[in-house]
Amino acid sequence: MCSFMLVFQIIAKAAMTVVIGFEGSANKIGIGIIRDGEVLSNPRRTYITPPGQGFLPSETARHHRAVILTVLQEALEQAGLKPADVDCVAYTKGPGMGAPLVTVALVARTVAQLWGKPLLGVNHCIGHIEMGRLITHADNPTVLYVSGGNTQVIAYSERRYRIFGETIDIAVGNCLDRFARVIKISNDPSPGYNIEQMAKKGSQYVELPYTVKGMDVSFSGILSYIEEAAHKMLESGQCTAEDLCFSLQETLFSMLVEITERAMAHCGSQEVLIVGGVGCNLRLQEMMGVMCKERGAKLFATDERFCIDNGAMIAQAGWEMFRSGHVTELPDSWITQR
Amino acid sequence: MAAPSSGDTNHESGKHEFALDIPFPSSREAVIALQSLSPDREPRKGGISKQLSVSGSKLSVRWSADEARILRVSVASFLDHLSLVVETMVMFGPPVSQ
Repeated sequence: MCSFMLVFQIIAKAAMTVVIGFEGSANKIGIGIIRDGEVLSNPRRTYITPPGQGFLPSETARHHRAVILTVLQEALEQAGLKPADVDCVAYTKGPGMGAPLVTVALVARTVAQLWGKPLLGVNHCIGHIEMGRLITHADNPTVLYVSGGNTQVIAYSERRYRIFGETIDIAVGNCLDRFARVIKISNDPSPGYNIEQMAKKGSQYVELPYTVKGMDVSFSGILSYIEEAAHKMLESGQCTAEDLCFSLQETLFSMLVEITERAMAHCGSQEVLIVGGVGCNLRLQEMMGVMCKERGAKLFATDERFCIDNGAMIAQAGWEMFRSGHVTELPDSWITQR
Repeated sequence: MAAPSSGDTNHESGKHEFALDIPFPSSREAVIALQSLSPDREPRKGGISKQLSVSGSKLSVRWSADEARILRVSVASFLDHLSLVVETMVMFGPPVSQ
């Protein structure tokens, strides 16, 4: 009986699919390993710039270049796996910054060939959604994807992810990051996290433009307005930096909740999933939670390990693609910024 | 890894040219490097062309560009990429037998 069970377990283990995922489309470099829905390892490094500065493509690529092989070693060690145990190598094909994407793709292509494993180019946005579904077990949610580079409301309909609403200019995270630069908020661990902490101490609401355009949102005008007003208001003592953080968050997040609710009404959906780096903001989750409660809907969100760019999300989307028969041939493995 | 190289201006076409030959331990590694380094196109649209090929255990690259500046950027970026691929091979190779 015992030996029968052991044989069964060995067979079951052999049938499991192990995917390693490489992510590096922005200022995070992450490599994660997933075995049939179980995250075995997911190490990550962040390129942090001084206050007042954003991250530029070539410097970000240099950062990734310097640490990627160490992170890869960590990913294998923490998972307790050898390259031979991996079934498939997934990497971010795009969208993202060109130079960092190439750096990561080069290593993914090389190890896939060294280890004799198939390669899989993954769409970064789908990585976020699939990881969110895996962690939260949301079944068929309306997705709010909010990060430094993307702001979209997405739902799965007729065999495709479809975008119901999005930003017509800059991403919500970009708006927050650039506001942080204006008043020199630290980028460590991230500008958004520091804004969130400061916002908790804000008490006075400063009125800002509110720019929902049907299913879409616009953030660039709000950024220009607050960039223009911030220093004047702070110097004259009209408000504090904390008040500005609070007001900016309240305004931006209200807009996001509004377009998410509209998409839910349109799709008849009773689930919301928040993914992307801004998605780990607890105030955004709280505001979305209030809306969901009013509608009798359920909210799903993840914490910073899986919201913020990471390797496991690419492994997870890669796992889904691999299991449904996809692979990316080497000549087709070029990266794409869009 | 010694890499014989040569650069010149082709007086007939007026193009700036550069050539690089990189020896690998075997043709297998040379092909892996070729396939890792080939897929991404040059970032700028025109003004430069780059050809990669393998013969035996040697990876050869040939550039032809309108301006020296564009050529320099492309060669420098290629060398960065090549060194990452080689370092990856050293740490995570040798290739499994096919």
